[in-house]
Amino acid sequence: MAAYITRRLAFVVLVLVAVSMLVFGVTTLLPANVAYLILGSFATPEQVHALELKLGLTDPVWQQYLRWAGGFITGNLGESTLMNRPVGPMLLEAIQRSLMLTGVSFVLIALIGVGLGIAAALRHGRPLDHGISVATYLGIAVPEFFWAIVVIIVFASWLGWLPASGYEPISAGVWEWAKHLIAPTLTLVFGHLAHVSRLTRSSMIEVMQSPYITAARAKGLPERVIVLHHALRNALLPTITVLALDFGRLMGGIVVIETVFAYPGLGRLVVFSIQNRDLPTLQAAILVVAAIYALANLLADLLYARFNPKIRFGRNVA
Amino acid sequence: MLAIDDLTVRYRTAGGEIEALSSVSLKARKGSTLALVGESGSGKSTIALAAMGLLPAEAMVPSGRILFDGADILTMNAEARRQLRGSRIGLVFQDPFSVLNPSLRIGDQVGEGLVHHRGYTPERAFARAIELLDEVGIVKPEAVAKAYPHELSGGMRQRALIAGALASEPELLILDEPTTALDVTIEAQILDLLEDLRVRRGLTMVFISHNLGVVRRIADEVAVLYAGQIVEQGATEEVLQRPVHPYTKGLLAAIPRIGRRMGRLAAIPGRLPDLRNPPTGCRFAPRCPFATPDSTNPQRLLAVGDRMVRCSSAAALRDTSWPVQEEAVVAATADRSASEPVVEVEDLTKSFVLSRGALRWEGWRPVRDAVSITPVDAISLTVAPGEVVGLVGESGSGKTTLGRTILRLIEADSGLIRIAGETVSDKPQSALEAMRRTAQIVFQNPDSSLNPRKTIRELLGRPIARFGLSPKADIPKRVDELLDLVRLPAHYADRYAHQMSGGEKQRVGIARALATQPNFIVCDEPVSALDVSVQAAIVNLLADLRDRLGVAYLFISHDISVVAHLADRVAVMHHGKMVEIGPAEQIMNAPSHPYTIKLLSAVPRVDGPALARREVVAADGLA
Repeated sequence: MAAYITRRLAFVVLVLVAVSMLVFGVTTLLPANVAYLILGSFATPEQVHALELKLGLTDPVWQQYLRWAGGFITGNLGESTLMNRPVGPMLLEAIQRSLMLTGVSFVLIALIGVGLGIAAALRHGRPLDHGISVATYLGIAVPEFFWAIVVIIVFASWLGWLPASGYEPISAGVWEWAKHLIAPTLTLVFGHLAHVSRLTRSSMIEVMQSPYITAARAKGLPERVIVLHHALRNALLPTITVLALDFGRLMGGIVVIETVFAYPGLGRLVVFSIQNRDLPTLQAAILVVAAIYALANLLADLLYARFNPKIRFGRNVA
Repeated sequence: MLAIDDLTVRYRTAGGEIEALSSVSLKARKGSTLALVGESGSGKSTIALAAMGLLPAEAMVPSGRILFDGADILTMNAEARRQLRGSRIGLVFQDPFSVLNPSLRIGDQVGEGLVHHRGYTPERAFARAIELLDEVGIVKPEAVAKAYPHELSGGMRQRALIAGALASEPELLILDEPTTALDVTIEAQILDLLEDLRVRRGLTMVFISHNLGVVRRIADEVAVLYAGQIVEQGATEEVLQRPVHPYTKGLLAAIPRIGRRMGRLAAIPGRLPDLRNPPTGCRFAPRCPFATPDSTNPQRLLAVGDRMVRCSSAAALRDTSWPVQEEAVVAATADRSASEPVVEVEDLTKSFVLSRGALRWEGWRPVRDAVSITPVDAISLTVAPGEVVGLVGESGSGKTTLGRTILRLIEADSGLIRIAGETVSDKPQSALEAMRRTAQIVFQNPDSSLNPRKTIRELLGRPIARFGLSPKADIPKRVDELLDLVRLPAHYADRYAHQMSGGEKQRVGIARALATQPNFIVCDEPVSALDVSVQAAIVNLLADLRDRLGVAYLFISHDISVVAHLADRVAVMHHGKMVEIGPAEQIMNAPSHPYTIKLLSAVPRVDGPALARREVVAADGLA
């Protein structure tokens, strides 16, 4: 197992190096002159040259890349060209807020999605199953920003229970903090339930028909034990893989959601830095998203190995 | 102990209701073993499920009672039924490869009944599971209890299942084909174990099987089922040695027997009646050579001597035996040794790397000790034109790999293959055109080897067109000829595979192999998936084709009696090595290698002296 983890970790590092090259390449080798982009169309050639020297843009590309990538290892992510602040602390703050949002959403998606999937599988072909299907499909079929607007209209405008947008730190009170999280979370969860619940449903139906479930029944086990202990363990295997992919989709989803709800997280930072041509911030943010994605997949693979004894390595009874 | 009374079970299906069981009555006396015998569709597994109260939702029970110790399983509430299951009634399923949960430890699965029925803590149940595994003859019970199913061999899994069924000390054990998926030597061990447990624990057993030889070894009483009805019931030895009902006679006549190599097996023609609308008269009448006009009247179980038979002509048929077909005209067998062999294999070797092995260091050098197996280990073999070489051995012995390596469907590591005088082992795949035409293969499972989206005409026409064997316009005629050759009616050409029975599909599989007019066919377990009566017809067909077309077979089978019946010479494989090869009579009657002797002695037989009860064999290889 240790060797397996080491190998997978090495793989994650490799992926990150590749992504960093890609990100750096795309943003640096743009046809336009970066300094010119930053300074705007009224800049004089002298000003452009001065900025190019300051940013090191006259150095060979590989030197620029190494300097930039080296900065990540030492913790120096460069300086935001827009706000003239170091990117690092700014990014860290945004990540914390976004992880709070996606983390809570993810846990809810996993719990509710798996729960709905089991319920639908156990009653498959009956009204409850159809109801769950329709509801979850509705969630995934309509774009997220639409649900975001519906949530704002219902909970903020009509009922007035929740704020329409913004963010409060937890230091301002737990309820204040939570209130701002509920609406975006609700939207994210609703939009992502279908994948998890549909997959859990179909693999659960398949598992419930397998001979070892009949065998468990023949042992006279209570239905609860059969479903939760015997069936779920096997039915969850494909779901785990999809959950990791969904985490990636969530990281994409927050770009829209944070913009709609004016939630100051990673997604909004990305949009902001694109709009304002803040290249150092954009590069760092994208690399962070890639890293989170890679780590989520690693975690899924490890969980998969944990639940599926067939891929655990180097074990032999004899 | 268990009394089934007038039980009828119907299944709702898309095509209408199927009557799986029609007023079946059975009794299993305490401490005895009752065997239920029948081919697929006879309803024997439905009885097992009904007795456990595990019938699927689409099943209906319009009549009948299943009394266990006086209480009716069908009418008691679900909770009471659950408490009976696994507690007082144990069930062992057919396929040990799919009935163990792949993600739970063996020990947990063996002991969990105790947690729910006897209130054990999981730890105590696990400890008890180790004792039970020990009792069913597993060598390292602690290690096995901590293992997962995929780490064990088939025999060990079946032992674990039996241990699990025994955990709560049930009074009744229902076994549904418990040894069908196992090799004969393992099967013999499991049968010994069951007999031993029955004596030691005073168990009552209901043993379901299609294999009459196995039944003979274990059962006191046998009930033969056909199309949902009991057709004959009585003491095992009586029924098997002097069958009265025509179906029982046919079933016994269809079994190939070691040491009796005659022309053809007796096959039962026809197929099961449509159970959506079963005939009111004798259900076997359409296939019965003794049918009389009276057969169309409803048949009742009648006492004939000590047994019950569902046939109005039973008394008259007592001493009549199943009609044996005319001895087929054996084509003049040319002197095989004189002609050039159709297949020559020298020193053929193939190994597979299972894992690269653990990394370790030799000084500064990283070393891996790769784990590999060699399923084909320096094998030399020749097959003469028109000769049948039987290849027997247990699962994992390398039979299939050898067959496929000869045809270069799997690439050999080393060795020489010569087919029809042409050396093919050193040619690239692209230059094997001629060999692909002369050497063909018939697979075990026609379901997975026939394309489900193509008609039979397309399936058979494809190889003819591919090798340009006849002008395009003549292909339909050639397809008809092929169907005729395997004795399928011409209109089958427009059918799809799923519209045919298992035996018919295998005939198509054989026709497909014959389409290129090969002179050598590898038959890889061609009859293993078929019922006995169908198996006999396919074996006869293969024998006829050999005589008519002079085609040679490498006939691979784990069923030694089928091989003994058909083969001219028999080769025995064990762990990738050919341990013995010789004329069939010699191998069957005077085997010389210890492994061959062991293999032959484990085969359950329907005639000759019943096997002496042997010592319980404990040793069992770990996977």
